[in-house]
Amino acid sequence: MPKKRIPVAILGTGNIGTDLCARLLRDSDFEVVAIVGRRIDSPGLKFFEGKVPNIIPNGLTGLNNISDKFVGVFDATSAFDHLEHWAALKKRSKWMIDLTPSKIGVPIVPELVGKVKAMEMSRDPIANYSMVTCGGQSSAPLLYAMASHATGISEVEVSSSIASLSAGPATRRNIDQYIESTENLVHLLTGCNAVKAILVLNPSDPPVMMRSTVQMKVKTSNLAAIQKEAQAIVLRINRYVPGYQIVVEPHLANPGQISATVKVTGAGYFLPDYAGNLDIINAAAVETARTHALNFPPGLE
Amino acid sequence: MSRLYDVTLRDGNHALRHTLTPEFVADYCAAADKSGVWAVEVGHGNGLGASSYLVGKSFETDHNLLVSARENLKYSKLAVHSIPGFATIERDLAPAIEIGVDVFRVATHVTEATTAEKHIEFLANKDVIVHGVLMMSHMISIDGLIEQARLMKSYGASAVVLMDSAGHFIPMEVYERVDALRNSLEIEVGFHAHNNLGVAISNASTANQAGASIIDGASMGLGAGAGNAQLENIVAYAVKEGKPSFEISEFLGMSQLVEKSFPDNLPRTNSSSIESGLAGVFSGYAPQVKQISQEFGVEVSVLWQEMGKRKLVAGQESMIREIAQDLMNL
Repeated sequence: MPKKRIPVAILGTGNIGTDLCARLLRDSDFEVVAIVGRRIDSPGLKFFEGKVPNIIPNGLTGLNNISDKFVGVFDATSAFDHLEHWAALKKRSKWMIDLTPSKIGVPIVPELVGKVKAMEMSRDPIANYSMVTCGGQSSAPLLYAMASHATGISEVEVSSSIASLSAGPATRRNIDQYIESTENLVHLLTGCNAVKAILVLNPSDPPVMMRSTVQMKVKTSNLAAIQKEAQAIVLRINRYVPGYQIVVEPHLANPGQISATVKVTGAGYFLPDYAGNLDIINAAAVETARTHALNFPPGLE
Repeated sequence: MSRLYDVTLRDGNHALRHTLTPEFVADYCAAADKSGVWAVEVGHGNGLGASSYLVGKSFETDHNLLVSARENLKYSKLAVHSIPGFATIERDLAPAIEIGVDVFRVATHVTEATTAEKHIEFLANKDVIVHGVLMMSHMISIDGLIEQARLMKSYGASAVVLMDSAGHFIPMEVYERVDALRNSLEIEVGFHAHNNLGVAISNASTANQAGASIIDGASMGLGAGAGNAQLENIVAYAVKEGKPSFEISEFLGMSQLVEKSFPDNLPRTNSSSIESGLAGVFSGYAPQVKQISQEFGVEVSVLWQEMGKRKLVAGQESMIREIAQDLMNL
């Protein structure tokens, strides 16, 4: 007998929403019951005709009409819209995975759950998890490894560069929220208050792979331990983001200043390989949803 | 003659490795205020909120530099450069308005004007002047340039400034671009030259002839890489053309102030700046390229060429190390 799949809906038909949908359609743990856009002629919606049973062109209103058909929702719209979406879906007892940088939900980096205080899965089936940002997801392993084997952290900086083609209109309009949400995660993982996030869009052709560089000012550090710890987390993340790798090992750029760079090559599911930034956040979203849903299997609620 | 826009205390901060002090800002602003320059731009080389390990730590806060400038500018406007992705509205733009900044230049890489939408909109609704800046403007076609300038205008920018951040243009290329913008958009155009190929003054003057009404310059050319168009030379050129709307002696005074204060930081064209200018790479990378080429034993010219091939934009300092590593592993 086939196991019961987790019925979910996706809000948003941009780069992130479409890649996420393609990803979930291949995942035997999930059943995508609806994809929701705002225009009937949206290319994202057209693409999934015949593959997803409910193609909804009228936003939240349309989704509310079939709310008995799904248990959770992935929101790939914008930080501003997420507020309204969460308010409505919470009332209908759904969990949500927020792929916008809204800072409403609990920030989750799947591989760090249980290792970092304040990064825990919900005990309530109605929950909101924030995937933070691609810069946050990609730098988190380095931040965690550095913070675990250093003392006296006085300053932390995360700078990321992504291919312009991989930054959709919402990302561009949300660039301040991107920075604030990433900085919030950096603070959470390191305890440091002097944090800075930077995002650079690179229009090169052929497009560049995403890179994130962490700089951390510390009193003391154990570089060998940091390298080992970071490498171990990278290997675990490679199970669902194969193209995630350290390209500049943690090293002392200056006395008391640790630095390292990761690169993310996308798996090329639906989007090209330069969209590793979307890959890493979507992979994190799927892992988080899986863990949460398995904690609350349908029928036990 | 158009309005002169003085970037000595901003682009010059690249040449000073962001060590500018409130004391020098005060002295320079007091002098510039008498010269008739339309605006004096102040801050970190990469603008508001850019002090970072990535592009260089500032010795002073934006706040202290701007307050010092504000106290010493009565006639010239106080201006800032600001890049979305580094600066945010809440942390950087709003406080700068509080300090009394008059002119905000919201800057993006030439193909990424859409990232400036929120910032320009926010400023356009305040009682300040807001310009859009397209950096690395050689990295796009003329049609593309017009499209990006049109976006900035639609968000509320009252002028669009073309930056030749890599010092890559020769005068003919400047003329074509400024002329095309003037003919297709009803918007003021500004031009910002770098002197990598030794033609910054010609480029500034050509931009002016093509209809650019805001011309950027720096005293002693103090700016990233080979420096900017030398402000006092722009004025001297105008004097020769019979358009002496400024008093040259004031500009020579500002020039002497910079020359005597920073004798070791004065920019000039050299083999490295010519390499980067031809390769079309952001001149501000010069210090890192020098340092990393020594550390890895890679030729400076090879590093510039590879950076040009990979079409690096500004703000990707961390890529230089990776490129050097790759070159070593060839």
